[in-house]
Amino acid sequence: MVSGAFRERLAEAWIEIRENLGRSSLQAIGVILGVASVLGGFSISDSQRKRSDERWMKLGGMDRLVVQQATAVKDGTPTALQMANLGLRSEDREEGGNLNAKAVEGATQEKGARARVRSAFADQDRSVRGIDGDYLPLNGYSLEDGRTFSAEEYSEGRAVALLGAEARATFFPTGEAVGQTIRVGDIPVVVVGTLSEKVFRWRDGEPNRFAWRNRIILVPSALVARRMNGDRWNRVDRVSFRIRDLSVMQTFSEGLDSLLRGNHRLQEDYRIDDIAARVKKRRSQGDVYNLIFMLSGILSLVGGGMVNINIQMATLKDRVREVGVKMAIGASGREIFKGFMTEALLVTGLGSAVGLLGGVAFSKVITSFLKIPLFMQPLSFVWAFILASAFGFVFALYPAWKASRLSPMEALRYE
Amino acid sequence: MTTERAIIETRGLTKVFGSNGMAVHALRGIDLTVRRGEFVALVGPSGSGKSTLMAIIGCLDSPTAGTYAIDGVSVEGLSGAALARIRNEKVGFVFQSYNLLPKASIARNVELPLLYAGLGRKERRRRALELLEQVGIPEKAHVLPAQLSGGQRQRVAIARALANTPALLLADEPTGALDSKTGEDVLGLFKELHRKGNSVVLVTHDAHIASFAERRVELRDGLVVTPEAQAA
Repeated sequence: MVSGAFRERLAEAWIEIRENLGRSSLQAIGVILGVASVLGGFSISDSQRKRSDERWMKLGGMDRLVVQQATAVKDGTPTALQMANLGLRSEDREEGGNLNAKAVEGATQEKGARARVRSAFADQDRSVRGIDGDYLPLNGYSLEDGRTFSAEEYSEGRAVALLGAEARATFFPTGEAVGQTIRVGDIPVVVVGTLSEKVFRWRDGEPNRFAWRNRIILVPSALVARRMNGDRWNRVDRVSFRIRDLSVMQTFSEGLDSLLRGNHRLQEDYRIDDIAARVKKRRSQGDVYNLIFMLSGILSLVGGGMVNINIQMATLKDRVREVGVKMAIGASGREIFKGFMTEALLVTGLGSAVGLLGGVAFSKVITSFLKIPLFMQPLSFVWAFILASAFGFVFALYPAWKASRLSPMEALRYE
Repeated sequence: MTTERAIIETRGLTKVFGSNGMAVHALRGIDLTVRRGEFVALVGPSGSGKSTLMAIIGCLDSPTAGTYAIDGVSVEGLSGAALARIRNEKVGFVFQSYNLLPKASIARNVELPLLYAGLGRKERRRRALELLEQVGIPEKAHVLPAQLSGGQRQRVAIARALANTPALLLADEPTGALDSKTGEDVLGLFKELHRKGNSVVLVTHDAHIASFAERRVELRDGLVVTPEAQAA
């Protein structure tokens, strides 16, 4: 019964809208622009953020904490303490991993060396990276061919190597690399596996940003330490931890910092790079954009609402007589109010629908211009719609109230 | 006089516009009774208060003092919504300037009072066509008011006024905007409606038009000057 009456009122409002098409479309424009700009804004910033997240995922995810060497000597002569410091060591990695054994799901250390690398096909000066533990998954590499290093090869520092896609193509351009031997410096090293090519482009047609990552030559870090570039303190270049539970990342990072500070005699010759924190910061910048887009959307809705009120008040003058006639033939003020409101809400609803389409089109144009794939969240649609409806409702109230309060006699005599 | 209920019964009706210093006394105490089935002409020069009286009789306005009952219902202290209901059910207005909704079709214009009375869509359409038939323009249901002549528009207005079979037809200078031939036709329609048993109150300043009515009530300076007993 109630829904029947409402349907009746909707039908009436629809007739009124059709009878006054000019007025109604003017009213709808504000809503359309507002909805399109809220939805478009959200979608463009979502697309951008998704693109950026994808990049972090390709870099090996953001669940990593990386500790690197840094220089403690800022300027002037180094102090004795600074001179005596040993820098990052494999101890740091072990003790760090023990800080919270449950949270740390993987760890690796890296120690690099430059060396002459030779095969039957090429002879180049290359950087060779000594690794251990979970280097491959932590850095987003996957095996293309062969196998990874065994635990024994790691601990014994055996002369084995993994080649990145570019390195494989350079040193073995014609055929199978796995099982072949390359010479790293004076050491004959057996290639046990090759890695899949890593490709990342911000936009189509750009050069591969990850080309350098395909150049790597990996060996067990113990090999580098023992036979190429070692020292008795087991110094390393870089230590990484994987912590999947991002909520403990912050506390782990703080704990690690105080541990390392102690190990390093209160000298900050290391740098902790919390990728999650970095991403979070980028995210919060994204939130700022979202807020700005939302505000500009709201501003256009407010502007549209004002225009709407103005149009309604201007047309109210034309409508006064109409309201008077309706009252004379039996419409109560309440009915006039409901009629105005239903009409305004219907205009808002239809305007929102058009605005959503406009927002999709707008986002499509902008993202294709930026050459990033479009990504739209259902929630953005919901938000745009809710905002528009709320504003449509609020701005419809005043003219509707005004119309409902007209005295029938004065309205009829209105010229 | 009769056992039948009066359609209109006013006692000491007063209407004052404006406040203390600038007060205008439009009505100064009107006692008027219109019986069911009567055709009464309310005449008087402009400024005599006849429009004000019509507004009060039609429940478009409330009196400053005095009592008024329409079809036995006292309007004193009724809410706006209750007055709207009375206008919808008991009064049918016919205005000099037709007051049709210009952008709505003829059928829809006639349907509106039925809509406010809560009738369903199909029933409304059926009744509207019936009413247009009754006033002699059934073929114009789907055109806009602007496409009709003045006389036809007034017929539409009459059809609309009759929609809810009101107790009272209230016409304010219904022929004022029409040429005399068309005016006579419209007045003929009123006469016919009266003959069928409708109560009609016709407001006019024209003595010739007033002669169509059974009884004349003359207003001057907010007072009835023709004794009511002096029926035509």
